[in-house]
Amino acid sequence: MRWATRRHCHVDRAACAWLIRRFVDDDPEFVFVDDAAEVPADAIGFDMRGVELSHHDGDCSFEAFLRRYELDDPVLWEIARIVHEADLADERYDAPEAAGLDVLLRGLSLTNGDERMLELTAPLFDGLYEFKKRALLLGREPS
Amino acid sequence: MLLAYRLPREPSSPRIAVWRKLRRLGVAQVLDGLVALPLDSRNREQLEWLADEVVDARGEATIWLGELASTAQERALAAAMSAKVAAEYSRLIAAADAAEGEPPGQRKRTLGRLRRELRRIRARDYFPPPEREAALQALDRLSALIEEPV
Repeated sequence: MRWATRRHCHVDRAACAWLIRRFVDDDPEFVFVDDAAEVPADAIGFDMRGVELSHHDGDCSFEAFLRRYELDDPVLWEIARIVHEADLADERYDAPEAAGLDVLLRGLSLTNGDERMLELTAPLFDGLYEFKKRALLLGREPS
Repeated sequence: MLLAYRLPREPSSPRIAVWRKLRRLGVAQVLDGLVALPLDSRNREQLEWLADEVVDARGEATIWLGELASTAQERALAAAMSAKVAAEYSRLIAAADAAEGEPPGQRKRTLGRLRRELRRIRARDYFPPPEREAALQALDRLSALIEEPV
């Protein structure tokens, strides 16, 4: 499937792309556009104004994906809280990891294009997922 | 960049939510319902989400990219934004100085709270005033007191 989003990926778009590839679509193709009007007819838009998979009712796009695709994995919701705070910093959740994730991804976006950005951030989110999964299973943070 | 918006008077909760978010972004209030922020990709994205939130709450919102016609006006706008965060830094400095007299445990909690507050203020500090450095120093002083053995 083709997926379209805004250029200059930061934390919410990078996290959504990771989520798509790992949990929604085995063979995704990503297209980057400047405006919602440029989304190709056969592509699903996300994290941009005027599309379903975007910010709604104070939720970020990553949260919209979890709701839309009924991904009720508690580890993903844990990551959603971090992505939400890294993206919006509205203090809806207590996510101390958010500030660090935000800085790392902003830094990466300064030196890398969008496609490279998704390549680089995927292992980061894989690691975050694994960490949070083990923390949940153990009841404490893994060493 | 500018956000022009209008929200229905009732219900008041979306109005308050939007107002809080604008305040967190550190916008300059140009007129009632017209706010300005320096243009960068992050601010642009945040203002776009806010515009959507206004529309979802049955209001109207448009985003404009614009510039002031004179340098003097531009400087005045930047100075006004700078003065606003300077006042926030000054309140932080006063709170940090006051905390020096607190018992050690309470002082530590106060330091944590003031550090979080400093991060919030810095995120909306587009034209840093001299008070920023003074605020950093005030928190360093408080933190040095805590590290000393009691």
